[in-house]
Amino acid sequence: MSDRRVVYVVGSGRSGTSTMAGTLQTLGLHVPQPEVVADATNPKGFGEPQWVVDLHDELLRRSNVQVSDGRPRAWLDAGTLSGDQGVRERVAAWLEEQFAAAAREGVPELVIKDPRASWFLGLWRACAERCDATSSYVTMLRPVTEVVGSKQKYYGADQGAITRTAAWVNMMLGTERATRGEQRAFVRYGDLLADWTQPVFALGEAFDLTGVKTAMAVDIAAVHKFIDPSLRRVTLTWDDIPVPARLRELADETWQVLDGLAEPGGDTAESRETCDQLRAAYAEQYGEAEAFAQSTVLARSRAAARHARRDAEQAAAGSRSAADRVPHAVRAMVPAAARHRLRKAMGRERPSGPAQGQGQGPA
Amino acid sequence: MPDIASLEGDSAYDVTWPWSRGEELVPGLTCVFRVRNEARNLPWVLPPIFSAVDHVLVVDNQSDDGTADVARKVAEQCGAEDRLTVLDYPHPVARAGGDHLATPATSVRSLTHFYNWCFSHVRTTYSMKWDGDMVLTPEGAGILRDLAWQLQSTRAIVAMPRHPLTVVDESTGWLDLSLRFLEPWVYPMGPEFTFVKAFDWELREFPAGVERIVLPEGLCVEVKWLDADEYAHWRRDGVDFTNTRLYRKLREFEVDEAIRNGDPTTVQGLVKVTAPEGVHIIDHVSRDWLWRQPRPLVRHSLPAALRERVKA
Repeated sequence: MSDRRVVYVVGSGRSGTSTMAGTLQTLGLHVPQPEVVADATNPKGFGEPQWVVDLHDELLRRSNVQVSDGRPRAWLDAGTLSGDQGVRERVAAWLEEQFAAAAREGVPELVIKDPRASWFLGLWRACAERCDATSSYVTMLRPVTEVVGSKQKYYGADQGAITRTAAWVNMMLGTERATRGEQRAFVRYGDLLADWTQPVFALGEAFDLTGVKTAMAVDIAAVHKFIDPSLRRVTLTWDDIPVPARLRELADETWQVLDGLAEPGGDTAESRETCDQLRAAYAEQYGEAEAFAQSTVLARSRAAARHARRDAEQAAAGSRSAADRVPHAVRAMVPAAARHRLRKAMGRERPSGPAQGQGQGPA
Repeated sequence: MPDIASLEGDSAYDVTWPWSRGEELVPGLTCVFRVRNEARNLPWVLPPIFSAVDHVLVVDNQSDDGTADVARKVAEQCGAEDRLTVLDYPHPVARAGGDHLATPATSVRSLTHFYNWCFSHVRTTYSMKWDGDMVLTPEGAGILRDLAWQLQSTRAIVAMPRHPLTVVDESTGWLDLSLRFLEPWVYPMGPEFTFVKAFDWELREFPAGVERIVLPEGLCVEVKWLDADEYAHWRRDGVDFTNTRLYRKLREFEVDEAIRNGDPTTVQGLVKVTAPEGVHIIDHVSRDWLWRQPRPLVRHSLPAALRERVKA
């Protein structure tokens, strides 16, 4: 049995995924370098390997899926691309390099975190197997109102609260389904901030992580310095977020079942069945909303097609010469000798030859 | 009133679809095996299938090698007893080809009726037919496992290439990489996806414009045992195998004969694989060999006989 481990930290963005990744990193797991640079939205850093973010961005573009995507079929679109052999070869080769780098530092244990990762877990699982590594998954949980509020605050309001709530339900239920049957754990962001030692110790045992199990006092002290409870800056309720009652109910039920999964022994057949029912209910609700808004979708598609046509026409027009844009009848009024001199001045003389007969080619 | 009454009036083998019974299909994927004497293959075939799909239906058609018992035993070993249903279909079924053509579609002897009867027992929203000699790779099982739930958002057909592996002995095999052998396996359940009679065998219908997903190559091998002489029962005289519908069979004959005659290297696209000591060739090819090979695995070429016909 190989001692290679890879822990995928997944879940919705703004749910403490960075805090979990950073904690595991501080305890000795290797975060592939370079990482995405910290900014005001995540002052302690993201714990996200830049290579992984770039790869996921590319795959999301190719599969026409966005990071927060509310469409139930987004899982199929992203999943279909996950089987691509070329992508698998790239990811497995990259993982091999990362395991080698981690082994040089100490133990071959990686932590890979990116909120986009949930879409491609089939890909990561298969590639880890190619590297003879054991995969495990930590799904971070945070109440939906806080996630939506935090996204509205830090990512802007380009997506409304309804869209973000729908995308959260889709992401969380899909992540639960995608990690089912695998070595996995659900951790509440609140628990991590309140007393990180309990959930993280449990992960070390459940996933057999040498980095966590053999952490020294200095590492543990460093995590205490790293975790800053004041980072949980957004605490909202439904009163702050205008979402229709039906979606709100579904989001609440989703939160309740996920919250139960975080309890010791809570990952039961019964809760998984509830997740299945919620996923079906969400797909039905989404399908209805999609059908309801079909006229808007079609109107946008027509407008987009019109814009694309106009852009193509303008691009084609831009590539023609000024003379070409003068109507033929007008050009024909210019005497032949003058046309010849004009062409010569513009450096567009025609080659002489038999094809230069009268009425041949554009004037 | 059944949807398809059997011609022979055997009501136990009439076909009544779940939607006619008013039974709601649950989200999921059921794998349907129609098998006869596959006891030898099932220990390789069933475990990856159990890891991939929600339910497995094995319909035993007059096996005398303990196929059904082996299926139950493997399910138990996989901890999947509650996800296995074994049914018995006691009627002799017409062979593909002329025998099939001569058999009315609603006869219990018809492949068409047999398939409809088998699939009428599926209770999930998707079903897949699978042969008792097809071994999924671990990566193939993983992809199918994901698809089993991801497909629920749409109604699509899934096609997968397969690669025939002729097992010479425990450590040696010849893999046919000349053709993709691409066939649709996974279909949604519903009145638009039932079986009708074609010339040589049955055909699963689907509505025009249905979405089609094609999986990558290298996910499935079709096991052929050289010592089983699997093609002995195939009638060759008077059959026009250059017909494109049948050229897959022709290729199989070609490969089988070449290996038997000791000259497989003369057949384009055949690759010899040798397993390390102590590892069975089926395990080696499906678990360790296929994913390591450069892509494309298959470079299309026509069988020699077809090439000659094209030249002529």
